[in-house]
Amino acid sequence: MSHWKKFWSVIGIIALILSLFVGTATAKKDVLVVMQEAEPVGLDLMRSSIQTTMSVCYNIHDTLFAPQEDASVKPRIAESWEKVDDLTWKIHIRHGVTFHNGEPVNAQAVKFSFERAFKDSLKNPHKGKLSAFKEVKVLDDYTILITTKEPYAPGLYILGYYLPIVPPKYIAKVGDEEYNIHPIGCGPYKLEKWVRGEEIVLTRYEKYYGPKPAFKKIIFKGVPEEASRIAALLTGEADVISGVSIHQRKKILASGKAYLTNQMGVMPYLGMNTYKPPFNNVKVRRAMNYAINRQLINKALFNGKAILCPGPISPRTFGHDPTLKPYPYDPARAKKLLSEAGYPNGFETRLAYPTYMSQIQEQAEAIAADLAKVGVKVKLEPYERAVMWQRYKARKHAMYIYWWDDAPEPDRYVYSLFNSKVRDYYYKNPEVDKLLDLGRTIMDRKKRAEVYHKIDRMLYNDAPWVFLYVIPEVFGVSNKVEYHGRRDGFLDMRTAKPKP
Amino acid sequence: MGRYILRRLWHTIYVVVGISMIAFFFIHLSGDPVMLMLPADASTQEIEELRQKLGFNDPLYVQYWHFATKAVQGDFGESLYYHVPAMELITERLPASLELAVAAMLVAFLVAVPLGILSAVKRGSFIDLGSMLGALFGLSMPHFWLGIMLILLFSVKLGWLPTSGRGGLSHLVMPALALGMSLMAMFARLTRSVMLEVLNQDYVRTARAKGLKERIVIGKHALKNALIPLVTVAGMQFGFLIGGTVIIETVFAWPGVGRLVVQAIFNRDYPLVQATVLVLAVLFVLVNLLVDLLYVYLDPQISYLEEK
Repeated sequence: MSHWKKFWSVIGIIALILSLFVGTATAKKDVLVVMQEAEPVGLDLMRSSIQTTMSVCYNIHDTLFAPQEDASVKPRIAESWEKVDDLTWKIHIRHGVTFHNGEPVNAQAVKFSFERAFKDSLKNPHKGKLSAFKEVKVLDDYTILITTKEPYAPGLYILGYYLPIVPPKYIAKVGDEEYNIHPIGCGPYKLEKWVRGEEIVLTRYEKYYGPKPAFKKIIFKGVPEEASRIAALLTGEADVISGVSIHQRKKILASGKAYLTNQMGVMPYLGMNTYKPPFNNVKVRRAMNYAINRQLINKALFNGKAILCPGPISPRTFGHDPTLKPYPYDPARAKKLLSEAGYPNGFETRLAYPTYMSQIQEQAEAIAADLAKVGVKVKLEPYERAVMWQRYKARKHAMYIYWWDDAPEPDRYVYSLFNSKVRDYYYKNPEVDKLLDLGRTIMDRKKRAEVYHKIDRMLYNDAPWVFLYVIPEVFGVSNKVEYHGRRDGFLDMRTAKPKP
Repeated sequence: MGRYILRRLWHTIYVVVGISMIAFFFIHLSGDPVMLMLPADASTQEIEELRQKLGFNDPLYVQYWHFATKAVQGDFGESLYYHVPAMELITERLPASLELAVAAMLVAFLVAVPLGILSAVKRGSFIDLGSMLGALFGLSMPHFWLGIMLILLFSVKLGWLPTSGRGGLSHLVMPALALGMSLMAMFARLTRSVMLEVLNQDYVRTARAKGLKERIVIGKHALKNALIPLVTVAGMQFGFLIGGTVIIETVFAWPGVGRLVVQAIFNRDYPLVQATVLVLAVLFVLVNLLVDLLYVYLDPQISYLEEK
């Protein structure tokens, strides 16, 4: 036997052995495989604020309301509701709803869930968001009164996200720790098994009160490497994948095997330390807004798919002022403003950014290059997550890039980012504070929008940030599946269905 | 011999205490987990409350004392993120790590040792040149790249193997190959050079002079001696493989300890980092003890008996 013959026979044997191990990758039509960047850290919605964790939870747990993309709500466990006064809602709970173990979902369960959210030992990260609420009173088995301390316009919307209704008897029996691993909810899917590190298998809850989801089983897997997730989508191992960076999107589309949803987004922004020179001068801050060529960054880094933000409230969010136009790219004007502010030759500064944000290095470099053109020399400071946050809180950044999700409800983030009671690390404006406090108390939607328009305009003029853009993020979805992502980015799979 | 083992085990305690201190102080100096645990809009009061509850306001030495007294009772605390005992998370992941490490070692040994011997025996031949070039190639290929290339070839193009995750043998093939490749290359080069040295020794010449078959001279007399440095390196590498295969674990979504600990470090999940570092340190020490004991079998001249 010649050497080559030997070589090929060895290869043949190896191929034969490998073929024995080959698994059947064909996904059945009633099973949906979802791959995210990480597996959940637990399955109790009240114990984590991590996106990948909350995504799985929203398939298991239901809340009183279904939050909508225009910041309104639709019925879910709450069948109907009425405003009693500015501090009170009367909520009628749907009859015949059960938890996955058969326990009834009733007024007592809602009260229990509400009170549990504030339990110290639970360390609920969403506690702050619920802090506007005072109490839940049970009127009868299917009616409750929920009161707030002050009028709180986004109240129902917040309940729709952060108050999952949980089974009192089951939790009393197993305790909070066990509940985090083996939860019982009242959502469209129930937990079948969780093999930590490998997969979470959810099965359809056949007695679910709402529309029946199309898929019988949903399997969630955590696959940290993007290339591996994309490979899985292309081989048919995964039906839906999250975390697809801009540069990889063409590959998915070109494969002819999958498509992209275009729903959710994050809104990066460039903050400045307005307490210290040079950014304590509004002219400098405006100059920064004119100096950065966001149109070009959008074209070069995001294929033109990003939405430029005029002010702090995203153009897709309720309350943004539609008359505002994004700051144009105008380096000459920037230079003029810098001269007027006493920096005709520019200055040196630092720009901090968290390394884990996607495509952040490219953005930071582009921004620094633009600023250099008007004489502002920027030293880039990439920081790992914890260090970035620590320095942020210690007011050590001069300029910094952070982001917020492009949430439909302005109070969710404008309040958090600009109300000095929540954080005044880099900016404080008593006028804005007052309006933010007012905005959340106005129950009339139209009047409320006017307050946010004012806030948007005021911050646009005062420019505590360089207002950047909303980057649309996408999910990769197999051509065999019909699924449109949600704007909030949570992978709630109840609406997914096989394509005919 | 027994006393030697006991003494080595006693040394392990020093190592563990030292490592625990280093791990504890470094992770505590590197950032505060509380702010990472709460959402971005948490108020200062919420942050302070949680910090108090978790005991992070105590002086560092007090915190270490609390940790150490519980750790000696086997309680490493609860993971700040997963809300389950840290040790439970590690024991869940350890089998996956061991499985991958053993498979990679096996792949490496099975290919590298015969190749190394062949190269040494046929020094300067086409086989020698080819395999050493191959080894160089294997050593210089980054794990990450190789892993992705394997996925593209075997999963996307050929559709033979699943892209990621842990399951049957089919899931193990690519990560083991990707991880084993650089080891393979290292072992092949090492085997060759050690064999070359051994083949020039007097006892090999004597064995040949006695008229023994070349197969026996190489397989029995030479190889056994050549194995000593190989076992030493393999032992060190094995310890490293258990905790240090983060890249391969990430590419293949392999649920091993490496990724767990790196994630825990990013999250400042103190209890989990401390527990993992300790477990890995103990494993490392034990594997090396095992290697030392293997020497006795491989080379009777080495003895750990106490001199009297």
